[in-house]
Amino acid sequence: MADLVNLTIDEVQVSVPKGTLVIEAAKQAGVLVPHYCYHPGLPVAGVCRMCLVEIEKTPKLQIACATQVAEGMVVKTRSGQAKSGRTGVLELLLINHPLDCPICDQAGECELQDFTFQEGRPSTRYSPTYPKRFNPVEDFGPDVLYVPNRCILCTRCVRFMEDVAKEPVLNVSERGDRAFIGVHPDAQLDHPWSGNVVDLCPVGSLLSKDFLHKARAWELDKTASVCTGCSQGCNVTLDLRDDTVVRIRPRANVEVNRYFICDHGRGHYRWMNRGDRVEAPLVKDGTDLRAVDWDEALDRVRTILQGAGGSAVALVSPKASTEGLYYARKLLARFNWTGAFQVVMGEEAPLSGVPNLALRAERAPNGKGAELLGYSRDYAAALKAAEQAAVVLVIDDPETAVKTSGQVIYLGTAAPASLNASIILPMASMVEEDGTYVNRDGRVQRYFQARGTPAMARPAWWVLGQLTDAAPESASAAFDVMAGDVDAFRGMSYATLGLTGQRTGAGAGVPA
Amino acid sequence: MGYPQKPHPKETVVLSEYFGDPEARTYRGWVKRGGYEALKKALGMDPNAVTEEVKNSGLRGRGGAGFPTGLKWTFMPKEKKGPHYLCVNADESEPGTFKDREIMRWTPHALLEGTAIAAHAIRAEVAYIYIRGEFTEPWTVMTQALAEANAAKVFGNITIHLHRGAGAYICGEETALMNSIEGKRGNPRIKPPFPAVAGVFGKPTTINNVETLAAVPHIIKRGADWYKSLCLSSPKSTGTKLFSVCGHIQKPGNVEVTLGFPLKDVIYEMCGGMRPGRTLKACIPGGSSVPILTREETEKCLLDYEGVAAAGSLLGSGGVIVFDDSADMVYQIMRLARFYAHESCAQCTQCREGTAWTTKIMERILAGKGQMKDLDLLLDLSENMTGKTICVLSDSCATPVISGITKFRSEFEDYITGKKRPVMVA
Amino acid sequence: MSAAHAPEAEPYQPVFVGKTMDRLNEIIARYPAKQGALLPALWLVQEARGWISDDAMAEVATVLDTTAAHVKGVVTFYTMYHQHPVGKNFVQVCTTSCCNICGAEDVVKALLQETGAKELGATSPDGKWTVIEVECLGACGFPTPILVNDDFIENVTPEKVHELVRKYR
Repeated sequence: MADLVNLTIDEVQVSVPKGTLVIEAAKQAGVLVPHYCYHPGLPVAGVCRMCLVEIEKTPKLQIACATQVAEGMVVKTRSGQAKSGRTGVLELLLINHPLDCPICDQAGECELQDFTFQEGRPSTRYSPTYPKRFNPVEDFGPDVLYVPNRCILCTRCVRFMEDVAKEPVLNVSERGDRAFIGVHPDAQLDHPWSGNVVDLCPVGSLLSKDFLHKARAWELDKTASVCTGCSQGCNVTLDLRDDTVVRIRPRANVEVNRYFICDHGRGHYRWMNRGDRVEAPLVKDGTDLRAVDWDEALDRVRTILQGAGGSAVALVSPKASTEGLYYARKLLARFNWTGAFQVVMGEEAPLSGVPNLALRAERAPNGKGAELLGYSRDYAAALKAAEQAAVVLVIDDPETAVKTSGQVIYLGTAAPASLNASIILPMASMVEEDGTYVNRDGRVQRYFQARGTPAMARPAWWVLGQLTDAAPESASAAFDVMAGDVDAFRGMSYATLGLTGQRTGAGAGVPA
Repeated sequence: MGYPQKPHPKETVVLSEYFGDPEARTYRGWVKRGGYEALKKALGMDPNAVTEEVKNSGLRGRGGAGFPTGLKWTFMPKEKKGPHYLCVNADESEPGTFKDREIMRWTPHALLEGTAIAAHAIRAEVAYIYIRGEFTEPWTVMTQALAEANAAKVFGNITIHLHRGAGAYICGEETALMNSIEGKRGNPRIKPPFPAVAGVFGKPTTINNVETLAAVPHIIKRGADWYKSLCLSSPKSTGTKLFSVCGHIQKPGNVEVTLGFPLKDVIYEMCGGMRPGRTLKACIPGGSSVPILTREETEKCLLDYEGVAAAGSLLGSGGVIVFDDSADMVYQIMRLARFYAHESCAQCTQCREGTAWTTKIMERILAGKGQMKDLDLLLDLSENMTGKTICVLSDSCATPVISGITKFRSEFEDYITGKKRPVMVA
Repeated sequence: MSAAHAPEAEPYQPVFVGKTMDRLNEIIARYPAKQGALLPALWLVQEARGWISDDAMAEVATVLDTTAAHVKGVVTFYTMYHQHPVGKNFVQVCTTSCCNICGAEDVVKALLQETGAKELGATSPDGKWTVIEVECLGACGFPTPILVNDDFIENVTPEKVHELVRKYR
């Protein structure tokens, strides 16, 4: 237990560990000290001068981001002096800042807008006869555009590349009010984690080319989720405009990805908007596939299962939810059962400045979850076993081709390409359901439903659960059943998982 | 007074004794003049004893801050856990100041000797002398002197390196100087950590000015009591200082006086006073970053840290800039604002944007397009730029603006009302 | 000390070979970290080429184990490093207040006229002169001081400009 320091911030008493910065201690007091250059994931710079606060017995205003707490310190963030200091900073930031809000992507989620509304001057004193500083837009690399005119030189991007990505390809060039963020022509901003500078930029200076002019911040519905790009399990926020996923941003999780996601994960959302979905349950009559309602479809599956004996094989996608995978296993329990998944592999790309964080070679989010539930990686063996199986259940793997003498049941989002399935059932994608993934470190993390299920699609846990004796009423209930049955999840529940998840083996409900 | 003049009888000649004497630049010439005896003595003393002596002398930093030197040396770690460094600030760029250049180009060994003694006192093995890039002659002289001294092996275990700057006033700020030595942009650092804890290359470091270190051999040789006795007014200001007198003056140059000496006598007696037909209008006594004094204030001012503060300014670097009645205060303050705008490192918002905005407003006033409210704007802007940044360059830009508007308001108003014709095009 | 002020050769010829590399190695040894030799290395480049190109910056970065972006950030910070070729005689004139009130701006005008450079920062048609205004040169008692390449010349007045320019031409 660290030494605690007691101090007062805006008349609220707080106790924080020794060494805490005043700006962090203020959060505990419920106070947000306006700031730009400070970021908990980056080394302190202290350059923007925005977080000026008044500290009793100290003659000058101090910056909260670089001042450590002291016993008995009395901090006033909203005193006249502090406010006028910050108003001064805002005025100076705006004198060269172009009035780009109507065409700037950052509008609506811009910290310059926010703090100016909160504490800025209502109008400028900068003479209209002065031209504002002008530099043309720069293309920094694969996804990043730099608009120097809007830059407030907080240097978050420079510090990220230098201290977190450990590839200092951004610099501050020139001096004084001529300064801007620069690159050397020989080196682009193409580090696999470089997209984070766009999120870090408090204003619309660093922009994502992918997201450019796609949507207004206030049009976006934001949902907590987990990245499906690899097995690292970075926490993300999905931004949807009218049910279309238009952007993925990192969500803070100190245990997994801190404040960052890689460019691969950042761009891995187009699959979420695929239109080629299975729309209704389809049963095969003769050679034709006929659309039916869920009652009839589920009856047909029951018939297939009751009439089958011997072995069954489940070929699953490592993108399916843990709950869905569990219920598939539960459903096939009475058979001589084999389950397997295959996963696309790629090159690993670590973020050197953060321990245990990388774009992982395994490009799927729930391989570990599948493993914990008894699914194997030996896909070839499973395909072999499928040849003799009575029932082959394929979950969300549209590309797979199975040779079997048994019946094939397909449950998935996209329609299968070349599967001779007896029945095809529409599945909700992870965007359209609540569920969990287990990352490579065994961390069980929730993702939340971001939009309604399209057409007649249903979550996997529901479809498969309906076919068991006790159909769960919700994803949470499905998880609870699993937690009661599988040791790895014992003691967990949606309530204990919260927004940041828990490590398996962490004990009864204690967050890791 | 210093080269190229002969010393004035009222000067206290200590540091400037050999200004203009080419032989003093050589190792042998310096030894002939009693050089390197103090170093020999110091190297035989306990480092703490050297520090104690300097502390007792009352020597204060001559770069501008006036911090007690001996006290600064005690901030180094008592227990030596790794390398210690000494950095010598020869980045002299404060407008009005030209004393360190003279020390280096006429008495390079004085600086080398002082550097070595200081390095010994703070237990530093390596000292870097950071010389501004424009000082090509001091660079050549110091290089030659260092080579000769090294050949004579006078420094013991201490190694002295010269490091050349490349054009940045801000590198005279001690933490920016360290960053520059490390091969980075000359950005000042936030403190803590303080240089004595984590300085250049992350190691405990002390930074001292050239003039400060040039005084150290004298203190070691002749004793702290001798140095302390050189005091004309406040007991907290001891020793001699080189005052660089320039501007509207008959005989510009460096004068060396005991602290507490009247500024009036420096201007009128030693430096020949005003040009024919001219009267003193204003004076900046300590380099452009300190408040401007009116004629009355100047003529009453005593030149020591407390005396100049009492007169309403600061001793600073001792760069005495003299303005006579022909000077356009508004134009010169604009020019100073432009200086600070050029030199801002760009880290802090107030400085980066504020110095440039100040310059623009001043230019607009000089172009005849100013309004009365611009003076309030300048004062408010200057207040925003004071006391809120990593280093004091921002404050330094605000200072001449505030003191200028306060004490020479009529000159500003003359441009605004049109009584004075515009001298610029906005 | 400054040499040819021409655009870089194609393909780029490294600066740090032979004796120059020896000199740099000697300098690197003075600092506990290689990067400490960055400012000295850049001076060596400017000594050899007269200016510092993007290619030269990349070379320095490689030699000192840092990135080209870092080197560029440093080069653009310090005003004495040239980022493009300049005239054979690079003239820096102090015009800060102390020299300003002693006629520095008249010295600038005279120099621009006499050298044929006409405008600040521009190179004269014969390629021999570039004149710029700089901030305080630390010789306020000897107004107006100027630097012609590495020659520090004190007490320049408009009257002396003609002879000075003739001497350097």
